[in-house]
Amino acid sequence: MEYQWQFGEVLVYWPHFLRGILVTLELAACLLSMAIVGGVIVGSARHSRKRIYNWPASAFIEMFRNTPVLVQIIWFYYAFPVLIDVQMPGFVAAALGIGLNSVAYSAEIFRAGIQSIELGQWEAARAIGMQYMAIMRRIILPQAIKRMIPAFANRMIEIFKATSLASAIAVGELLFRGEELANTIYRPMEVYTIVAIVFFVLIYPLALLSYWLEWKLNSNNGRPA
Amino acid sequence: MGQSWDFRLVFSNFDFLVEGFIGTLKISSVSLVFGIMAGFVFAALRMSKYKVIAIPTSGIIEFLRMTPLLVQLFWVYFALPVVLGIKLDAFTAGAITFSLQNGAFFGEVFRGGIQSIDISQWEGGRAIGMRRSQLMRRVILPQAIRRMLPPLLERSFELIKGTTQMAVVAYGDLLYNSMILSARLYRPVEVLTTVAAFYLVFLTALSFIMRYIEHRFDARQA
Repeated sequence: MEYQWQFGEVLVYWPHFLRGILVTLELAACLLSMAIVGGVIVGSARHSRKRIYNWPASAFIEMFRNTPVLVQIIWFYYAFPVLIDVQMPGFVAAALGIGLNSVAYSAEIFRAGIQSIELGQWEAARAIGMQYMAIMRRIILPQAIKRMIPAFANRMIEIFKATSLASAIAVGELLFRGEELANTIYRPMEVYTIVAIVFFVLIYPLALLSYWLEWKLNSNNGRPA
Repeated sequence: MGQSWDFRLVFSNFDFLVEGFIGTLKISSVSLVFGIMAGFVFAALRMSKYKVIAIPTSGIIEFLRMTPLLVQLFWVYFALPVVLGIKLDAFTAGAITFSLQNGAFFGEVFRGGIQSIDISQWEGGRAIGMRRSQLMRRVILPQAIRRMLPPLLERSFELIKGTTQMAVVAYGDLLYNSMILSARLYRPVEVLTTVAAFYLVFLTALSFIMRYIEHRFDARQA
């Protein structure tokens, strides 16, 4: 049987896809800001030599990296609201589940970036009388951030891909909208192909950016210009 | 907090969760085996001398890596059967999807490992009259495998975590069974917390084993 492709029939529903894309972008933006802010905080705590900061941060990182992100989403959606006795919209549960998971990963990126800077830099700065925060801001971070960027670009790709998991708890993002449409007009092939292509178009620029950054970093002998 | 914790119900239904965990192990191991095989194929095609093979392959690899697994799973499970006029069960659809996506990642790991070996190793081998296949087996791969191992284990870890997405297509893995159980008992906090804790213990143990393998491998090679 030759399959009759009917993309035209599906594409008339473009506003439906667009609504999904907007929610996907909204969720990705939330997750990204969480990952950056949380990653810096938890990463700094993890880097600290004081146990009172270091241990909770390590526990947080290990806990969120060693459980599947979908389990975290499901837990925040079904279990957490019962525990704290509040209503939890799917969007918030997804943002918490994926977001905290991403915080754990970006914290490790942040810490690794800081640790990649030679101790000599710290010693030299301390020798000329600079304080911890000043050393961090003026000497360490400007160098470390450049080294973190490729890993963080990869993290962004993972975050974007993870937004699709929110469909499992009925958040109206792109995949969920596609599912709705596929069930209504019974054109799963066209619908899911469009969904896949849209995701690829959204994500691939980030991949190109990360390839370019990695190439730039390597061609400078590990010393970014 | 409205109700008190009660874990007894969870433990009296432990068999059902164990059944789910076996489901998780099944889909993970099948996907790992086929994923690694697909990875070899992807890497070989991607490194082909012929551009007509190498370029489309790298396009496919990029597409598989840069789209969400769940989208691919829906495509294989809901869309592909309509086009091919066949029936696919959730396990088969999952195994195909996981093998292909992870195969694309594995393929890049293999390629990266092989291409990281200095070109002079090839030249040296060729100079003493070794054939390409001999050279690959005796000179390049033994060195490359060492570099491939850490990303390979890392990706396998991601694969196993990713199998929870099988719950979305109602395959009886650990997550799916726990969602069914939590709905049946109306005890989401206890059931889901237990299962999350179980995943934590299982995956932490697994990451320790992986670190141990890596360590042993390094020690043996050094």
